Amino acid sequence: MTGFLKGTVDDVRTVSRGWRWGRRSMVPRSAEEYVLPARSTVFPSDWSRKRPAIAAREVAQKGGLEPLFRSQVRTQVEGLDVLAKIDGPVIFAANHASHLDTPLILLSLPDEWRRRTAVAAAADYFFDTWWRAVGSSLLFNTFPIDRRGGAMATTPGEVLADGWSLVIFPEGTRSQDGWVGKFRMGAAFLAHEYGVPVVPVAHRGTFAAMPRGAGWPHPGRRQLTIRFGEPLRPAEGESVREFAPRIKDAVAQLLDEDSSTWWESRRRAASGATPDPSGPQVAQWRRVWAQTDSPQVTDEPSGRRLAAWRR
Amino acid sequence: MSRPGFVLEVDDRTPPLVVHEGLGFRLESFPLGTRVVYPPESLPSVPDVDEAIREALLHPVDSDPLPERLFAGMKLTIAFDDLSLPLPSMKSPDIRGRIIEHVLTLAAEAGVDDVEIIAANALHRRMTAAELKHIVGERVFRSFFPQGKLYNFDAEDRDNLAHLGTTDQGEDIEISKRAAESDLLVYVNVNLVAMDGGHKSVGIGLASYRSLRHHHNPQTMVHSRSFMDHKKSAMHHSAWRMGRIIKDTVKVFQIETTLDNNVFSKPYDFLMKREWEWSVRDQASMLAMKRGLSVAPQKLRHKLFHDLRAPYGLTGISAGEVEGVHEQTLERVHRQQLVEVQGQSDVLVLGVPYLGPYNVNSSMNPILATCMGLGYYFNSYRHQPVVRKGGAVILYHPLNEGFNQLHHPSYVDFYEEVLAETTDPAVISAKYEKQFAEDEWYRHLYRTSHAYHGVHPFYMWYWAAHAMDHVDEVIWVGADRKVASRLGFRAATTLQDALEMASGTVGTSPSITYLHNPPHLLADVR
Repeated sequence: MTGFLKGTVDDVRTVSRGWRWGRRSMVPRSAEEYVLPARSTVFPSDWSRKRPAIAAREVAQKGGLEPLFRSQVRTQVEGLDVLAKIDGPVIFAANHASHLDTPLILLSLPDEWRRRTAVAAAADYFFDTWWRAVGSSLLFNTFPIDRRGGAMATTPGEVLADGWSLVIFPEGTRSQDGWVGKFRMGAAFLAHEYGVPVVPVAHRGTFAAMPRGAGWPHPGRRQLTIRFGEPLRPAEGESVREFAPRIKDAVAQLLDEDSSTWWESRRRAASGATPDPSGPQVAQWRRVWAQTDSPQVTDEPSGRRLAAWRR
Repeated sequence: MSRPGFVLEVDDRTPPLVVHEGLGFRLESFPLGTRVVYPPESLPSVPDVDEAIREALLHPVDSDPLPERLFAGMKLTIAFDDLSLPLPSMKSPDIRGRIIEHVLTLAAEAGVDDVEIIAANALHRRMTAAELKHIVGERVFRSFFPQGKLYNFDAEDRDNLAHLGTTDQGEDIEISKRAAESDLLVYVNVNLVAMDGGHKSVGIGLASYRSLRHHHNPQTMVHSRSFMDHKKSAMHHSAWRMGRIIKDTVKVFQIETTLDNNVFSKPYDFLMKREWEWSVRDQASMLAMKRGLSVAPQKLRHKLFHDLRAPYGLTGISAGEVEGVHEQTLERVHRQQLVEVQGQSDVLVLGVPYLGPYNVNSSMNPILATCMGLGYYFNSYRHQPVVRKGGAVILYHPLNEGFNQLHHPSYVDFYEEVLAETTDPAVISAKYEKQFAEDEWYRHLYRTSHAYHGVHPFYMWYWAAHAMDHVDEVIWVGADRKVASRLGFRAATTLQDALEMASGTVGTSPSITYLHNPPHLLADVR
């Protein structure tokens, strides 16, 4: 009997390690080209925008997510005043460097905005199993979008039409090194198609706090900063292709502003000298190295932080 | 959409891999860099089997349609592969039964009265009535068995054998008299692997020892490289020489079928999946099965495995002239089983499963395990062996199943008397084969009981002759040491130990290739 129990424990341990229980399973490198395309079954998320789910999410976000989030990181939020000028729905287009981005954006929004904001999440990543779909929909109000351009049960357009604002990461995936990658057209297309403004959002420090591969933020309450920019609307006759780069430029300017000052960033923007958000073309380690520093937050020339009113 | 086979290179992301070992399996963590050859996934099966059979019979290859070859008053014999194929046995209805029904329907329409159905078991054991019924189906069984018109071939019934002559190399051709004297011999085969079928069907399945001894011997087997590639197999060359003479005297209508790779039914289908793609359910099934097997008594494990029936699908059927048909068949077998492997390796790892062709509903004794590993699996190659000359083979099997006294009586004596003297196939052949082949008691058991022929264990040993000649070291992981030593091999507890033991031959960091079968695969080594 003891032998059987020991054998069982050994076998379970072997399987739990070999098949990475609790983590995403991995495919051996040499087998990657033989992996079947991801299942097209995507779990529906419409229920998560109904009243009971909204109520449950409020409890989960306020009672669980927010205290936990604030216990792990410090945040500085700027530019929320832009939201006062507009009515929803809007599209929040942000750079994407970490799983912390979504809670950072949601928890930075005023409550009335947060309650009506849904997050576009990769169908193949967040909606491949029922528990992942339920968990992410309930906690972050995610809905699936197909990164490969396939059709989905729920389209972002329907969510927008229902009056929900959207968080979209136009890069489509988390950055490998913390720098901003190529922006896809999705956000620009939706804004164009549904006539909603795009609010550019730039944040820094999430890569330093919890990069790809990390399962939990680094200890020491790293600093995160987030900045909301002026809403953008496609101009009369402006095509999606022309509008999309403007979103990226706006995010780049916000990043510049976040690391310097509004005035300096405006002047650089005017002279076309806004730093490239995709970072310098140097060795990969130097790119990662540069991003592993959390942003320094100084409010006063003395360098002393103003604790009051900060979130 | 079925994915092709491929060669995995074990890396840090690779989970432990399934290795079969007799009535069980283990999860093995292979050294980084080990190549693992995975068979292709099942090809799409024929959607309408009856339609495919009809089509094959009405539009045969290089032959008149079957209905035109049937006439009233003729002597029709239908022969079929015995229970050694397919492995595991097929879920009812067996494809052979379905084909035989179609042939008989046509024969009835043509008014044929004289029909006999013969299991082409050569020197294999006689099948029981239940085993025959499983293959041919209830309708055929009921119509023919009670009248004695459905029976096992008896290779020792001198009165019912016909000597058709000799080949230009002096090989005797002696086959079933009934088959030889029929106006038409319809042979129904299951071409599970590339060595089956073609002229091997009639020329071996319905042949006597007098005929078989010409190619079932160590010299021929060492020069069959491999016997899964009939163009490079001395055994097949001999069978082909005989087949061409048989063709001149006997009218053969050959029907060959090929199956997909669907060998395990649910919930054991995880054994066919690529491990890193196992779902939670697969992992749970595997754990439940593994733990269950660890406490189950041997008898129960035996029952559990041997009761498995494979949900094979038919990938194709061809009928007509033997060689034309076989060409089409091989093309389908290759499509289903061939995997390209670049270069040989120092060590070949093979998991010997619970089942081989000669222990269906029986036990995998040490000689059969050797035949399965060093015979069938080692020879599952084209062009050159997976392991280099002078390399090492590591096999997994406990070698503890003992002998089935009913099915394998001559194996016991072969093990106790012959292997105790020598394990060299050439010496064994020269010194002992004739004595066993002509032993009256074995002959009696073969003809009246359910025993394999007296000479059969010799053939099993010859099957492994090419491997024994080719490699320098054979190590059995998890095997009974005494048994392994009797077979002339060594035993190790773990793969690491086995590699350590083999290091004298292949060095301390050898290249390793593991053939991940079953399901069946054929390595095309470039």
